[in-house]
Amino acid sequence: MDVVIASSSIDGGIGCWDLQTGAEQLRYKTCASPPHGLVSVGRRFLASSQLRDPSATSGHVLYWSWSKPQAEVKSFPAEPIKPLAADSEGSYIVGGGSSGDIYLWEVATGRLLKKWHAHYRAVTCLVFSEDNSLVISGSDDGCVRVWIFDDVRRQQASHLYEYSFTEHTLCVTDIIMGYGGGSAIIVSASEDRTCKVWSLSRGRLLRNIVFPSIIDAIALDPGEHVFYAGSRDGKIYIAALNAESSPSNSYGLHIIGSLSDHSKAVTCLAYSTERNLLLSGSEDGMVRVWDVKTQNIIRMFRHAKGPVNNILIVSRPLSLGRAESNAQGFSRRHGSSLPPPLEKYANSTDEDMDNKAIINLPATSNLPTDASYLSSQLINDHIKELQQQGSSAAVE
Amino acid sequence: MVRSKAPSKKQQKKGIDFKKIKRKLGRKLPPPTNATNTEIKSKAIVLPEQSVATNKEGLAVSKKGLTLKELLQQTSHHNAKVRRDALMGIKDLVLKHPAELRLHRYAVIEKLRERISDDDKVVREALYQLFKSEIFPGCAEDNQGLFISLVMTYIFNAMTNLSIDIRLMAFRFFDLVVQYHPPCFSLYAEKILQSYEDILRKNQFYLEDKGKLKSTLYGLVRCLSLLPSKKPGCQKNILGERKIHAFEPDLPTENTGFSVIIKKLKELVLVLINCFQDFIPLLNSMPQLDAQSFDCILSILQSIDIAVRFFIYGNHEESPEANPLQVTWDQTLLSGLSKKLLGVFPLYPKHHLSVKEDDRYFILNIVITEIFLHLREWICPSANVFAKFLEFMENALLGKTCSSTRSGKATWEKHVPSLLPFIPKLVSEVTTDWQSHLLEAFTKTFRDCNPESSLKLACLSMIEEMLIPRGDMHYTEASDPVALDYQTIWIRELPLLLILLGDKWPSSSQVVLHLLLRLGQFACWNSSLIWEYENTQFALCEFYSTCREGNIYYGPFMRLPRDSQELSICCLYYFSNFSTLLLKAITSCCLCPELEPYVLFRIIEVVHAAYKAGHIQFADHISFFITLLSRFKVYPENICPVKESDVQISNCGTFKSLTCMVCSCLSQMGDSSVVFRILEKAILDLISLKPQLDNACAMLRVLIMLDSKPTRLSEQSIIALSNFLPGYLMDVVHCIPEVDGNEVAVSNHVQTCRYYLLPCFFLFDRSNQLVKLFLNVMGSSLTDSSLSLESHNSTQYVTDSLSRMNITVSLLLLIYKDVKVQKIMSLFRTEIGSIMQSIASLQVWFCSVNFSSMKSPYLCKQNLKYV
Repeated sequence: MDVVIASSSIDGGIGCWDLQTGAEQLRYKTCASPPHGLVSVGRRFLASSQLRDPSATSGHVLYWSWSKPQAEVKSFPAEPIKPLAADSEGSYIVGGGSSGDIYLWEVATGRLLKKWHAHYRAVTCLVFSEDNSLVISGSDDGCVRVWIFDDVRRQQASHLYEYSFTEHTLCVTDIIMGYGGGSAIIVSASEDRTCKVWSLSRGRLLRNIVFPSIIDAIALDPGEHVFYAGSRDGKIYIAALNAESSPSNSYGLHIIGSLSDHSKAVTCLAYSTERNLLLSGSEDGMVRVWDVKTQNIIRMFRHAKGPVNNILIVSRPLSLGRAESNAQGFSRRHGSSLPPPLEKYANSTDEDMDNKAIINLPATSNLPTDASYLSSQLINDHIKELQQQGSSAAVE
Repeated sequence: MVRSKAPSKKQQKKGIDFKKIKRKLGRKLPPPTNATNTEIKSKAIVLPEQSVATNKEGLAVSKKGLTLKELLQQTSHHNAKVRRDALMGIKDLVLKHPAELRLHRYAVIEKLRERISDDDKVVREALYQLFKSEIFPGCAEDNQGLFISLVMTYIFNAMTNLSIDIRLMAFRFFDLVVQYHPPCFSLYAEKILQSYEDILRKNQFYLEDKGKLKSTLYGLVRCLSLLPSKKPGCQKNILGERKIHAFEPDLPTENTGFSVIIKKLKELVLVLINCFQDFIPLLNSMPQLDAQSFDCILSILQSIDIAVRFFIYGNHEESPEANPLQVTWDQTLLSGLSKKLLGVFPLYPKHHLSVKEDDRYFILNIVITEIFLHLREWICPSANVFAKFLEFMENALLGKTCSSTRSGKATWEKHVPSLLPFIPKLVSEVTTDWQSHLLEAFTKTFRDCNPESSLKLACLSMIEEMLIPRGDMHYTEASDPVALDYQTIWIRELPLLLILLGDKWPSSSQVVLHLLLRLGQFACWNSSLIWEYENTQFALCEFYSTCREGNIYYGPFMRLPRDSQELSICCLYYFSNFSTLLLKAITSCCLCPELEPYVLFRIIEVVHAAYKAGHIQFADHISFFITLLSRFKVYPENICPVKESDVQISNCGTFKSLTCMVCSCLSQMGDSSVVFRILEKAILDLISLKPQLDNACAMLRVLIMLDSKPTRLSEQSIIALSNFLPGYLMDVVHCIPEVDGNEVAVSNHVQTCRYYLLPCFFLFDRSNQLVKLFLNVMGSSLTDSSLSLESHNSTQYVTDSLSRMNITVSLLLLIYKDVKVQKIMSLFRTEIGSIMQSIASLQVWFCSVNFSSMKSPYLCKQNLKYV
């Protein structure tokens, strides 16, 4: 079941709707998230960083299990955390602090594995690559940095980023990554009214697109022909990546067109690859679902009065009622299935962390069948076969 | 007949021995029997064409009437003069008929290349000129590979010629080829270097003929400068029209294949060092350093410099050994360099004769210093030597070693930048003592040089390097205190420099602004730097605008190109504590009518972003918006509905979008009821001052945007508004002239009116009390005027009140056009009725005094009654 999840910067909880039927699901309570602060951790549960009083010295991260409206686990990291990101298995969570530090936690134990100084100013967005090999961070200082996740996890000493793109002149508002692992493109949007397309393989700027207004959110078309840029003037611009664009254009170079319904500023976007739908969250508290082919709105969800600033599309496990089986078996108050809270400080006395890092496999019963990966199994089979052949050849 | 027969008979009778053969004069001998017939018979005679006489119409000819073919033939004539003339002729022809060269370029080059090793000096010179001025530029665009290879064989041939003149000339030809086709050097690098080495070894000749040596060395410098000596920087070219995922054209990079020449280059460097050494005694013996020897030495030093850089920084990934540096630095080379070259440093004039000479020695010393600084890590100099160079650097930066004349100053500005790139590294490595010396000197250089000079730019880029940490993310709070002092000075200097540059050097301003932005982005790592950055905002105020004695003086910001303006706006975002002073300066820039709307909107966007990030205080931000709305000058004052979109004539459209923007920003600022309560008083105070129509409208719009239904306006405000609104609405009707005519114009008019009326309608909708008060005020004003009409009798007054009545009527009509408002109005029959009454009474009065223009109000009244 594909569900749409949305949260807002003012406390309106987390709205949850079935994308297909439009029926509203359970609404999770008490959540005021910053942009990019809502994440589904391995589709097992939801996590969100919380906006707090600017004077607050510690951060606030909440967990919700799918079945309960109340936040079940509360963590208080050492400083206010804004963006959160989790890898696709849900084994790690990274969070960007307002001082420019990035924190890396292991979900299963809640341990702070690493904290490193990544930017000079507050981190504004964090993205995991599809294969979990890269972490890309954007910051208030206009810097976009690419980190190799394995290096980040292993190295004890402070280490260097893979790339640092400094061409943006103002705060980075959103980053998306294309397909193709290390040779993918990334698109970053900034308050300087531009979106920039970078090549990860070559580490350089490929394209600079100047928009008529500030872009706060971007979403990528699955074919990477175009990307959608939600702007503060209420329009969603369509910008060409691989598509043809005519040089004489009313909006500017590389901007093909726009989706607009004269609403307030667009604050977040999400793309449903399966259904070819574009979801946009707006300042007026609505989530609009666009059919990108016809460029029409086919559905609207009303979330809250305040601006919607996070939308996720999650294919939620169907069996909601049953508590998820968890290999670790944590002790918890209400017998809920959530992992323990995130630790505030790294425990330096711990022995080598690498050996203890546990990847928490999601319970397979909850997953749709198409999501199981067979490649390693196949390769093992092949290797075995080859070895047998080789040994038999040697015998002869 | 008879007579003729007789003698013949006589003759026959004579004896055969004495036979006398009479020969007639003029007769030919009969041919011998064995003769060969050489007679040639022909029906027609064909003469070969003669050049002078031929008809060359339609063919391209030179001044002397020769075609290209003939000219080419003449280039191999045995007479040198003819050859030269032919070359001149070709030049002439190509000038007149450029197409000719394009068609026959290969034929031309095949013939002309033979002349590269011509014996005659004049011919070679002519050929050089021809190549330089016509042929290479003419063939520049197409496939050059073949073309070049055709020439190169002959050039190499000439380079090994016995005659030294021809050899030298061949280098000049090669230089020309490299100028037009740089990759050619990499193709033939080894061979070329060998040739240079050979010719430089023959050092007996060059001390005599320095002019030729000079040109050869120039060529060498040019060739060597093609060597990859820097880290390959990231290419800045951004794909324009291309698709993102399209394939890259698979071109070989230019820098391949250089690693094979390392050995050759080393030999060349040794030869160059020897050359240099040969010059040293000459310098000592000569009374003064003449221009040519100076040029030669300079070229030698530059060549060595480039070669050294190539050894150190060139990427030799193709070489088999892992570490190129160990391969490259054999001892002979290093000791040669350090003894023969660095050992003689510093060069100084023996007999102080001219100022010019000082400068020349200064330049030479700078190049030697450069070489030393490149080599420093490899030769491990003794402290003495090191100190010698450091001292020179300090003096050079301070401008002590250079003459104080104008040309000396120019030389200084030109050559000091090449020393600057070493400073950041040196400063981090030398002792504290030297560190402060160097930094002091550097700071002085930075301060003293012309703001628009390239030296300033070089200084700025060094400052950027020293201020902004690159790469490593260890942020150490306490960098060494010596550097910090100077860093503070530099940062303080930046805004002043920006103001000094004004709008005359936009590219320099751009660099400064970029540095400031960088500083803002990255200065957080050091608290004292961020403090300094914060403080620049006070100095920056002047960059935007200053207010003295009530007059506003706009700074350079207003006149800079747009991208610089954008950069400076971006800088604003990073002030973590935005001062009110700066915000004022920016606000007055925003209010300037010359400011482009685009920049205005950018400013608002960035200021709002800064507010969101907590850099601007709430009160400041609010007053920024309110000032914009209330003080923005809309021109022209009369509203003409048709030409609104035209920016040239009216900035009404800009103001409308500005209003929109401010509204959306205000709505994002938080709970609208709170914001409303804060703004209510301020806006009403401003409104009561009766601002211009557009400003009033904008403020009303803000009010209704924040308000809700039913209204949150306080009692007081409602009274204030009810006093203000009638006047406002009347003004609207008065200022927007009613149009008669086609439907488009009418609907346009209604649209324009609606823009101004709409906020009032919203207010009416939200508060019935306001409507009541409003109607009362309208009615009483009409009654007043009708009453006072009785007493007053001046014509002026009468006309006034007549027009007022007219306006009131058309206003009522406009109000009644809106269905929703009509409904609201229907609740207030009594008030409307009283207004009608006064209108009617006025009308009666006017009729009585027999005014002519009574028709339209009358009709209006009919309409109203109908309503």
